[in-house]
Amino acid sequence: MGTFIQLVVDGLSAGSIYAALALAIVLVNQATGLINFAQGGLAVLSAYIAYAFVQFGLPLIAGIILAVVISFFIGALVERFLVRRFERGDPDTAVVVTIGLLTLVTGITAIIWSYNNLGFPSLFPLSSVDILGAVVSVRSLATTVTILVIMVLLQLLFLRTKLGLALRAVADSPASAALSGLPVGRLLMVGWGLAATLGAIAGVLVAPQLTLTPGMLDTALVYALAAVILGGLSSPLGCVVAASAIGVLENLVAVYIPLIGHDLKIAVPFVLIFVILILRPQGLFGRKVVVRV
Amino acid sequence: MSSVLPVTRKPVTRNRAGRTVLVVVVALALLVAPLVLPAFANQTLIRIGVYAVAVLGLNIVMGYTGQVNLGQIFFLGLGAYVTAYGVKQGWNIVLVFVLACVIAGIVGLLVALAAARLGGLAIAMVTIALPIVGVPLAKRLDEFTGGSQGISARFTDAPDWSGLYNDQWQFYIILLVTAAAFLLGRNLVRGKYGRAFGVVRENEAVAASMGVSPYRTKVLAFTLASIFGGASGFLYLAAVQYTSPETLSFGHSITLLAAMVIGGAGSITGSLIGGAYYVLVPLLTNAIDPSFTTASQGAILLLVLFLLPEGLVSLPRVVRRLTRGPTKRPVPGNPQQPAPARRPVPEDAPEGLEQPERHDRS
Repeated sequence: MGTFIQLVVDGLSAGSIYAALALAIVLVNQATGLINFAQGGLAVLSAYIAYAFVQFGLPLIAGIILAVVISFFIGALVERFLVRRFERGDPDTAVVVTIGLLTLVTGITAIIWSYNNLGFPSLFPLSSVDILGAVVSVRSLATTVTILVIMVLLQLLFLRTKLGLALRAVADSPASAALSGLPVGRLLMVGWGLAATLGAIAGVLVAPQLTLTPGMLDTALVYALAAVILGGLSSPLGCVVAASAIGVLENLVAVYIPLIGHDLKIAVPFVLIFVILILRPQGLFGRKVVVRV
Repeated sequence: MSSVLPVTRKPVTRNRAGRTVLVVVVALALLVAPLVLPAFANQTLIRIGVYAVAVLGLNIVMGYTGQVNLGQIFFLGLGAYVTAYGVKQGWNIVLVFVLACVIAGIVGLLVALAAARLGGLAIAMVTIALPIVGVPLAKRLDEFTGGSQGISARFTDAPDWSGLYNDQWQFYIILLVTAAAFLLGRNLVRGKYGRAFGVVRENEAVAASMGVSPYRTKVLAFTLASIFGGASGFLYLAAVQYTSPETLSFGHSITLLAAMVIGGAGSITGSLIGGAYYVLVPLLTNAIDPSFTTASQGAILLLVLFLLPEGLVSLPRVVRRLTRGPTKRPVPGNPQQPAPARRPVPEDAPEGLEQPERHDRS
C-alpha cells in the first residue's frame, strides 16, 4: 500500500510539471490558434537564466523571480517579432516557425552553457515527510502545491479581471475583439508572455530533479502535448486533470506492468490517446466544434 | 507553397524539348559521376539520395496535404530495422525491400487512422510521439534490433562481375530506387490524388462538397508518406549498413522537417534540395564548429520562412522577379507576380486593428 501511495504522489508531482507546460500550450493556442512547440525550449532557457543569476551570486529565489520576469518579456518579444508575421497565415507554417524556434533556442542554450548536465539548486528542502506509510519528498509536495496555486491564480485572472476578459475575447475572435476596441496585438503579446512565464515556472521547478541540459524538457513537452490532446485544447481544467492522470498512470504502469517498465512508460499516454480518439475525437473535456459549410 | 507556376509562357514545344535535354544530361551525369568521383563524394551523394526519398514522403503528407508530421524519421528507422533484420535472416533482398515498405506503410496507416480524426495540428502533436516512443522501443526489442548497440548488415558489396568499388555499386542501387521513388512521387502529385491532396489542404469543406473525403485523403497521404519513409530506411541501411536507436531520434525528425520546408514544401525538386540540405549543411557547420550546428539549423529554418516562404526551390523565381524590376508591364491575362497561395499577412495588419482602441483611450 505504501508503494502505491508513493507512486501516486510521485505521479502527481510529475503530472503537475506536465500540467504547467500544458497550460502554457493551451494559453497560446486559445489566443492564437497555434501550438507552440518551443514552449519546452523556452522554459529550459528560463531555467538557465535563473542558473546564471545564481552563479552571479544572487540568492536563488531572486534569481528565479528575475528569470520568470525576463521570460515574460522573451515570450512577448517572440510573439511581436517572430510569430506575428505568421499568425494570420497558414497554421502549418506557423507551427514550423515554432519548431524552428525550438531548434534555435536549444542551440543557443547549448552554445552558451554546453550540453553538459548542470546541477540546479532546489528551492525546497530535500527532506521528506511520511504520509500513510509513503515517503514523500517535500520537494514534490511543494512543486505540486505551487503549480496548483498558479492554476487557481490563472483561473482568477481569466474569469475575474478585465485583462482576462480581454484575453478571452481575443482568443474567441480576434476580429470582433478588434472591432470592440481591444488592442489585439498587445493582448497577444501578453498572452505569449504569460505562457512563457508559466513555462519558466515549470522549468525552474523541474530543473533540480532532472539537472539542467538543453533537451531537459523535450520529454515533458511530449507528455504535455498528450495531456492537451486528452484534455481538449479548449479546456485548461481538462488539461490539468489529464496531465495528473498521465503522471499517475505512467508511474503505476512502469512498476506494476513489467512488460512496459520505465523505458517504455512514455508510450502509455499515446496508447491512451489512440483509444480515446476512436471513442471521443474532441478530447475528454473538449467541446465538439460544429463546422457549417 | 503551391505547385510550380510558370512565370513566362514560352512555346510549349521548345520548353519540353529543353526539359528533355536537361533530363538526359542530368541522367548521364548521374550515371558517369560515381566512376569519376572520389569515394567520399559518392557517399555524400548516396546519403542525399537516401534522405531525399524520406523528404519526398514528408512532402506528400505535409507539403501537398498540409498535415504537419513530426514522425517521418520513425518510418525511416523502421524501414532500416526491418531491412537489417531481413538481411540477417538471409531473406531475398527484393522481399526485404517490399517488407520494409509494407511494414512501414501498415504502421503509418494505423497511426493515421487515429491521428487524422483530430485534424488540424493534432496530427503534429501525435506524430511527435513516434520518434520519442521509437527510441526506447528500439532499445527494448533487442532480439530484433540489437538494443542500444544497434544492428549492422551488409548486403551492398559490389559483386565481382561488375568490376566496381562498393561505393559505386551502392550509388547505382540508390540511384535506381531514388529515381523510381521520385518518378512515382511526381506522377502521384500530378495526378488525381495530388489534386485531392491540394483541395484537402486548402479547404476541407470544399473537398467534402466535391466528393473528396478529407479523412480518407489524409490517411492515404500519411500512409504513402510512411511507405516512402520505409523505402528510405531500406536505402539508409544499403548506404550506412548499420542502424541503432540513434537513427530515429527526435532531433533527426525535426531536421527532416526543416529540410523539407527549406527545400520547398509542395515541390518535387524541393524534396531533392531538402535531401541535400539534410546531408550537406551539418557537414559544413560541423566543420566550422559542432556546437553551432543546432542553432544554425534553427536560424536557417527561420530565415528561409521569413525570406523565402516557398523554400529554396523558389529562389530562381524570386531572383528573376527582383532583377526584372517593376518597370516591365505585366502581360495581360498572365499576371506577372504569381502570388504565393498563402502569403503571410503583412505586419501592419494587426497594428491597423489596434488603431481604434488607441484613439479611444487617449
